[in-house]
Parts: sequence; structure tokens; C-alpha cells
Amino acid sequence: MNTIAGIIMILGALVALLAAAGLHKFASPYARFHAAGKASPVAFLITALGASLSLGLAGTGLLVVASVAMILTLPVGVHLMFRAVHRTTPPTLAVDDLVRAERAARIAAGQDRGDT
Amino acid sequence: MTTVAIVIFVLAAIVATIRLLLGPGLADRIIALDVTLISFMGAVATHAAHTGSTTYLTLLVVLAIIGFTATVSAARFLQHEDPVPTITIDSEPTS
Repeated sequence: MNTIAGIIMILGALVALLAAAGLHKFASPYARFHAAGKASPVAFLITALGASLSLGLAGTGLLVVASVAMILTLPVGVHLMFRAVHRTTPPTLAVDDLVRAERAARIAAGQDRGDT
Repeated sequence: MTTVAIVIFVLAAIVATIRLLLGPGLADRIIALDVTLISFMGAVATHAAHTGSTTYLTLLVVLAIIGFTATVSAARFLQHEDPVPTITIDSEPTS
């Protein structure tokens, strides 16, 4: 049983390493938050599963309480961080060049007089 | 077995700490700190399984709630910056 618990805990540690690598892999802040916010609670859940296999009933109770607290709170925190970044980032598309080009092409083709 | 898991957790915490030091913005640093904290929590759970004592497991509950409070307060702090100036889109052709 202890071998199975150890293997499960190593799997959880590898998922945590994946979450930390996702912070370096992606280019935009949203993708980085997505990688961290999805993988890290899964890493803790897998580790808690392995530890509770090895610890018995009293340890399992505390680990379940900790896992429920994390599952309830961590997505909310990551969502609030997404919202803060979205509201404080200036828009990247300042001028729509396509509208200007299409309008100029219509004026050149004589379909638009250009005064509206 | 548990030693290998703790070593991998420490490695994950170091990789996340590099992002914490490099991170281009405040939000990246906060999320990197979150990942570091969760790696630490996993290491605490693994250590409890290694020693067989449930003494430090209460710490996990406290850490989960403290981490949530830190993230929420930092997100609120980020939103209280000056509002972004609105850029009017000029779609008319320049004459």
C-alpha cells in the first residue's frame, strides 16, 4: 500500500512541476493563469489522495477538509486575477485599419462618395 | 518514494519562483507565488505521509485559506489603479 501511495504522490508532484513549467511556456498572461490555475489544484488533490492512502482515517479527514477548502477557493482567486488583468490591460487594437482600407477601396471604385 | 516526491515538489517550487522573480507584471508574480504555495502544501502532505503523523495537516487548511485571501486582496489592489484611458477608434478615412 505504501508503494502505491508513493507512486501516486510522485504523480502529484509531477503535475505540480507541469503547472510550474506552464508558467514559463505560455506567452500571454491569460494562458499562464490558465495553466497554473488548472494544474495546481489537481496536483494537490492527487498528492492528498496518495497521502490519505498512507495515513489512515484521521489524516484523511484533515486532507479532505484541506482539499475542499482549496477546490472552493482557488478557482475564485484565479478568476479574480483574470478579471483584474482584463480590466487593467489597455486594448491592443487601437485603430482598425481594415475599415479604413475597405472605405478607401470603395471610394476609389466610385461606390462611395466619401462624404457620409 | 516520498523523498523523490518531495524533491520534485521542491523543483516545481523553484521553477515557479523563477517566474516570481522574472514575471513581467504583478499578476504573474502573484500566480507564481500561488503555485509555489501549492507545491509547498503538497510537500507538507507528502512529509506527513512519510512520518505517519497528522500534526502538520492542519497547516494545509490554514494555508489554503490564507492563499485565497492573499490572491483576492492582490486582485482588488490591482483593480484600484488609475482607469485605463479610453481610446476612440477613428474609422473615418483621413482626408
